[in-house]
Amino acid sequence: MHTGHYISGGAHGILILWALFGGMFRSDPPDVQVADVSVISEAQFAAMMQPQAAPTLGSEPTALPQPDIEEQPPEPPAAEVQPVQTPEPVEPEVSEPDPVPQPVTPTPEPEVVETLPQPPAPEPVPEVDAPEVALRPIPRPAPRVAPEAVPEPAPEADIAPDVQETVEQSETPDVTESEEQQATAPEAAATEIVTEAEEPARAPSASVRPQARPNRPAPTPPQTAEAPSEPASTPPAEAEPEPQQDTAAADATASAIADALEEALSGASTGTTSGPPLTQGETDGFRIAVQDCWVVDVGSQAADVTVTVGFEMDRSGRVVSSSLRLLSSEGGSGTAVDTAFQAARRAILRCQGDGYSLPPEKFDQWKAVEMTFNPESMRIR
Amino acid sequence: MKQIIASLLAVFLTAVSAPSVALAQSGPLRIEITEGVIEPLPYAVPDFVAESAGGQQLAQQIARVVAEDLTGTGLFREVPREAHISQITSFGSPVQFADWKAINAQALITGAVSSEGGRVVVKFRVWDVFAGTELGQGMQFAGTADGWRRMAHKVADQVYSRITGESGYFDSRVVFVSESGPKDQRAKRLAVMDYDGANVQYLTGGNALVLAPRFSEDGQRVLYTSYETGMPRVHVLEVGTVQSRILQGQDGVMSFAPRFAPNGQTVVYSLTQGSNTDIWAMDIASGGSRQLTSAPSIETAPSYSPDGSQIVFESDRSGTQQLYVMSASGGEARRISFGQGRYSTPVWSPRGDMIAFTKQNAGRFHIGVMRTDGSEERLLTASFLDEGPTWAPNGRVIMFARETQGAQGSSSLYTVDISGRNLKRVRTPEGASDPSWGPLQ
Repeated sequence: MHTGHYISGGAHGILILWALFGGMFRSDPPDVQVADVSVISEAQFAAMMQPQAAPTLGSEPTALPQPDIEEQPPEPPAAEVQPVQTPEPVEPEVSEPDPVPQPVTPTPEPEVVETLPQPPAPEPVPEVDAPEVALRPIPRPAPRVAPEAVPEPAPEADIAPDVQETVEQSETPDVTESEEQQATAPEAAATEIVTEAEEPARAPSASVRPQARPNRPAPTPPQTAEAPSEPASTPPAEAEPEPQQDTAAADATASAIADALEEALSGASTGTTSGPPLTQGETDGFRIAVQDCWVVDVGSQAADVTVTVGFEMDRSGRVVSSSLRLLSSEGGSGTAVDTAFQAARRAILRCQGDGYSLPPEKFDQWKAVEMTFNPESMRIR
Repeated sequence: MKQIIASLLAVFLTAVSAPSVALAQSGPLRIEITEGVIEPLPYAVPDFVAESAGGQQLAQQIARVVAEDLTGTGLFREVPREAHISQITSFGSPVQFADWKAINAQALITGAVSSEGGRVVVKFRVWDVFAGTELGQGMQFAGTADGWRRMAHKVADQVYSRITGESGYFDSRVVFVSESGPKDQRAKRLAVMDYDGANVQYLTGGNALVLAPRFSEDGQRVLYTSYETGMPRVHVLEVGTVQSRILQGQDGVMSFAPRFAPNGQTVVYSLTQGSNTDIWAMDIASGGSRQLTSAPSIETAPSYSPDGSQIVFESDRSGTQQLYVMSASGGEARRISFGQGRYSTPVWSPRGDMIAFTKQNAGRFHIGVMRTDGSEERLLTASFLDEGPTWAPNGRVIMFARETQGAQGSSSLYTVDISGRNLKRVRTPEGASDPSWGPLQ
């Protein structure tokens, strides 16, 4: 009856003994590197820590012994022997002696200076569709100094007075067709000369471009005077004008009277021309067009000269070249005056293109022009 | 009520002035332009026409030198030949101005070269494209084949003169100190070259230290300081024969910083006696000398005005180096420089209107210009070491020496326009310093 208990107790006892002594509860030994140490005395430690003396070097480096290399003659060619090319005798390299000064042989003076006869006049050239101002094929640094700063144009843009985005032909048929155009941009320019001695930051790299010139007004019938038109434009039916408008109207009236009086008095002088006067915008547009082509050489004596140039224009806005003449000058010698006049003449002719943009209905006002070129403000840049 | 009266008055005045108001403007349209642009003038110079069998290469070379001269000024910009529409195939053919206008060439230079038996003839014309006229008259130069560069320079001088109205500087030479070797063992020799660095010829050997050569007004003689005897002494050298002699024979006396007077007969220089340095003038023919300054300070670097009436020099009599102007016969000097820093090596412009100088301030060296009264000072350059300005014969360009920093630093020659634009290096075979620009030949 207790046989089962004895068997079970014996088996459990064996199991417990195996668990205890068979390694079930024994952990693996830690993976630790163990170094052998030994105990030393204090004197031995002090002796170990003493600084080591640097090795003593000889004052002169000694040459390393060359390995004994026995030169082996090359194997003779087994095949036929090619004739050996005798090398060209090589000139020994001789250091150039200190050059002894020799009498300086002057370059022969060109002996004859003659003036040549007048060349034949060019034949009349048929009209061509070439652009008036060429596109610069090679970009270059921007040494240009202009009244207003212009940033560096895009590399693919051509130089032109106005900014034009690239316009390409669209491939989609439903889009409105536009003419293909190359991007253009004005040439980069600074507003002043910046020397190496000056801080570059002083020169603005760009500034806001002025607003475009207003569109030319539609032709209007000649007016006898501008002044009275302003009061007349006030609506007469306005029953109760506001006090502010009243004051403005009164000011305008007073101004108009003053203007009319001034014009009446000045009109007494002789030599006046007929037609409506140019507006300030039209005059400024003309001035800016010419000044963009007026190249001033600030280091020259011509930069000390102010010249006044007279010329006439035809109805298309083109300058009558033969009418260009120097009216007066101020400062500088005769040669400098002539140079200043040539620069002014080039500016007037070069920038006209197909004619300056001036209102044809006011032709009487601009058919004769007196233009003064004063470089005073350019000299101090 | 007031308004009504005012309006009636305006109408009345208008009616009275009607006949004249209809003529709204008096005379021609008057416009004043005060702003222009500063940019190089575009020009075209196609290859010159070869009028003889062997002249093709020479024709091209001459045209290229003319273009390099003009473009090198910074005042002109060559329109590349690839952009040309017209070709000049005959010197006598009419010019198609429209073709040159189309590429925006404002000036056109045409030329022809013929070569026969070692004799070269160069012809040229300058055209104002937009006016459709010739600038001046056609010219021709004749010389030997080895003088082709001079002929090209002469053509460029003529073109420059016709467009700018001022004389050129291309057919001129520069005397300078050629330097070779490391900084601490540098050999220095006097040398002369064309203004653009071509045709370098040596005037002295490298056995003695030489400094500060100065051309005479006619370009035939050179003054310089040599340590040949152990002491700095002023020498004068004949460029044609390379013969030199000591100008001042007083033993135990240092003389330096010489410069010719415009008449070529007088030399002004510094002389040190004891611890005092003063400016003296000597008549070359008689050897007689006279003292021009007598301050107990250091006076040196004298330079005559072009008319020979005044001398600008540097002095530390105020405590620092400053510039002073006095009469050529000596006497009271007036100070003209008042800016910060130290001023030295003043040189009077051939035009007579400006003085170039070296300025040291805030650890940097500058080349600058000012009016002869000291006004309108303008610094043109800035670097570790810039010094020794010299004027081009037309007073438009300044050449100077620039030394780079460090033990391996070397000295080179540079030019700059008096506006401060167009700073560029002059190509020399070795290091170079102390330039002196000679006259137009």
